[in-house]
Order: sequence, then C-alpha cells, then structure tokens
Amino acid sequence: MSIDHVGNGLSAGTAEYLLAFADDEHLVGARHTAWIGLGPFLEEDLAFCSIAQDELGHAIGLYEILLRDAGRDPSSSLDAFALLREPSEYRSSHLAEAECDDWADSLVRHWLYDRAEAVRWNALADSSHTGVAALSARARSEERFHLEHAERFMSRVGTTPQIAAAVERLLPSAVGSWAPVVGETDALAAGVTSAPSSELANRWEAAVRADADRWGLSLVWPDPASPLVAAHADRSVRSKGFDSFHESLTVVLALDPAATW
Amino acid sequence: MKVYEVFLKKAGKDEFRHAGSLEAFDDELAQLLARDAYCRRGEGDAMWLVERSNVLVADTDLLAVTIDLPHRTNNGAMVAEHRRVQRNGATDETPEGAGS
Repeated sequence: MSIDHVGNGLSAGTAEYLLAFADDEHLVGARHTAWIGLGPFLEEDLAFCSIAQDELGHAIGLYEILLRDAGRDPSSSLDAFALLREPSEYRSSHLAEAECDDWADSLVRHWLYDRAEAVRWNALADSSHTGVAALSARARSEERFHLEHAERFMSRVGTTPQIAAAVERLLPSAVGSWAPVVGETDALAAGVTSAPSSELANRWEAAVRADADRWGLSLVWPDPASPLVAAHADRSVRSKGFDSFHESLTVVLALDPAATW
Repeated sequence: MKVYEVFLKKAGKDEFRHAGSLEAFDDELAQLLARDAYCRRGEGDAMWLVERSNVLVADTDLLAVTIDLPHRTNNGAMVAEHRRVQRNGATDETPEGAGS
C-alpha cells in the first residue's frame, strides 16, 4: 500500500502520509511493550504497557482506514499488513523504531514521541476524512494522559546525567522525523491534514523546549541540516536494528501466514 | 515512594469500595497509576485515593470488647419466644405443635 495504494477515496500520496503515522504508532507501541514485566516498579509496568496498548490501538485504527479505502477487509488483512510487509515498505521514523533497552532512553523517547504525536493528532482534528477525524478525537483524549505521565517522571529526573545522555542520543532522530513526509502535499490539498510537517515541527519544538525549561533540562538542539539529523530523515530507509526487531515481531505469524488467529 | 489506598465507585447508589493499594512518588502520579492498576476496564466512574499514612487505624483493643456481646445480635428468636408464650399463656409447657 505504501508503494501502490489504489483507493476509493484516498490518493496514493495521502495514503502514504497516513501510513507514516500508522507505522510510527505501531513501532513505538511495539517497542514500549518490551517493558512488560520489566518496568521499574509494578504499577509503572502496568501504566507504561497501557500507553503501549493505546499507541497500538491508534496504529490499528489508521491501518483499518487504509485497508478499507483499498477495499480490503481489515479483519482478514490487518495482521499481515501490519507485520508481514518487507522492511523497505515501512514508513516509520527512526525515533519510533529505536531500541531503548535502558529505562532513561524509553522515558525520553516516550516524552519526545508523545509530544510529536499530540501535535500530529491535533493537525488531524478537523480532517476531511471523517474516520481520521474520529480517530483523532479518541487519540487526543488519551494523549493528554500520556503527556501527563511523561511530565510526572521527567519533572523529577529531568536533570540527571542519564536523561541528558538519552536526550543527546534520541533528539537527532526526533528532529529528523519531521522531514516532510511523502504524500504530504496530497494530504494537505485533500484537507486530510491541516498543516505541513515544517509547521508541526515548529509547534513540537516549542513544546519540547518549554518542557525542558520547566524541568531544568538543558538541550543542545541539533542542526536540522546536520548529517546527524539527516541520517534519520528518510522514512523509506530502516534504522539499525529494525530488521531483527521486525523478525521478532513476526516470528509466530510467519510460521503460518495463512492461519486464522 | 508513598503507599496509596484506592477506592472505586460505579455510578448510582453503590458505595465506594476498596479496590487495592499502590506505590507512587506523588499524588498526581498515584492517580494515573491507579487508573491503570485498578480501573483500566471501566471498573469505576469515581475514584478516591488516600495516602496510607493519612488513614486512622483504630486500636484493636477497641474492637476486641465487642466480640462477646450476643445481646447486641438480635436475630428475632427472643422476641418470637416471648410472643409465643404470651399467646399460649404463661403456664404453657407444650411448645411443640401448640397451634396458632
């Protein structure tokens, strides 16, 4: 679909634009679930995995919109579409794909990603596609609490060296994730979204900087034109570690791709 | 970390009931964590949280003296016996099958 979407209402470009968001939600949700049973304490384990479930729910909602538009029944095609595409057919950002096996990294990615996610869902609030607009309303009601969750932790540990190191590691891919998404022009023209990535990036940066100021966290903002950021700007190129993670997600499904689960 | 006791109530006449307890480092986080620990399937429409250190715990001796006071447990037997005697006369000695 990312390559050859033939839709009933969505143009190929708009479909690719939505696919980028869907894949981000899918990958970040799947990465978050790595903390099941391993969270810093039991209650947080539950809360963080609940956030992961929310993100996966958003991914499912967007995948369903894309599949229905292509005339496919999500109940029989969603798993394969979500999981069995070739790595080159995913359009996720490197921030969403990143392996964060340290809690500080996961917390910082949660903050940076949810700030971005809230900005993106806000831009879809008045989408001309009623399904997208309805999904935006649901997602925004959940994002409020995801951001509150990030706030509780970051306001306490935002000045620690572990967080500083995690920010230094993840901020370039977060900034890179705002490179214009393929299909964006179509999505804007169709009224499916209301603002270009460059505008959303500005809103996100303002929110991230305000958060950091509030927490006493000093940011060294990477130059968007630098090679460090540019290395994360192309959503058609998978980041290091994607293939093995993708394989781990599909290990059971690939045993029998035709099976009904 | 602080320990909080969580109470949930469904809309309507049901009372708040103890759902469980949890650990959190502040009041705001406690509310977020309580939602996911005890109310992620819509188990309540209203939630109270009480930091455990704010719960008044009564001396168990205060309650111990109430255990052996059977006269405060009225199951109606004494009243029923009294009324039966009144109906049948004070000298009635045939309680079994004495009629109405």
